[in-house]
Amino acid sequence: MLAGSLELGSLRLVAAKARAAADLATIVAIGDQDDAAFAATGAYRPSPDAEAVARVYFARNLDAIAGSLDRSPDEIAAAADVAVFREAGALDQRSGRRYDRPAVRVAAVVPVRTPAFAAFLLPRVTSVEVLAASVAR
Amino acid sequence: MAALETVLTVTILVPLLFAVIAFGDAFQRWLAQDAAAIQAARFAAEVGGDAPEVRALLADTLRSSGIDPERVLVEIEPARVGWREPIRLTVTSSAALDIPFVLHAVVPLRSTAIARGEVNR
Repeated sequence: MLAGSLELGSLRLVAAKARAAADLATIVAIGDQDDAAFAATGAYRPSPDAEAVARVYFARNLDAIAGSLDRSPDEIAAAADVAVFREAGALDQRSGRRYDRPAVRVAAVVPVRTPAFAAFLLPRVTSVEVLAASVAR
Repeated sequence: MAALETVLTVTILVPLLFAVIAFGDAFQRWLAQDAAAIQAARFAAEVGGDAPEVRALLADTLRSSGIDPERVLVEIEPARVGWREPIRLTVTSSAALDIPFVLHAVVPLRSTAIARGEVNR
């Protein structure tokens, strides 16, 4: 019972860290603007490589919990659904949110190892769904 | 019979209760430390690296979460970061797990956040 409780607490901890990793990745990705678009229009647009940057920083920030994950951070980040909304007012079909400014959204499934759950006939790997979005300041 | 019940209570339920409290406290501290590390990493990216104001912000945030900043190791790499370069901030503290009859240990709690430099030098 104690092992199950600790595993559940550990799972929630890892899930929180995974969500924080996705959150930080979206913040980093939206924090860089498209210089050419800004020079031409004066409007803030996310950098052309915003999607790649979000994946890279998601993987880097997942590294801290890599030992608890069933797949490598790079694989998880590569499989993540990353969307860059370059125009204000865009509707995110996945979350149903409408962004009033340019935004970056990361949705991912993070497989977390939960070996102690096997004693309760639960899966050895628990999938944690992560959704994070950041809009331009 | 009563003596047996007392022994079982003391040797099983008391460690169980202490374990729940000790691990719950450690997990809570770890999450608070994570949040502080992320906030400080973002600030370090904004100001261009390791700066006194970054460490002051981190200390304030840790203190408000009940963590003594004097007993925390902070590493910021690189100390000076350029535009679009990654900057890593690591906070390491320790948590004591004192569970009667079972465990007396000090475990390290490490939080790492990686942000991107925003200062165009």
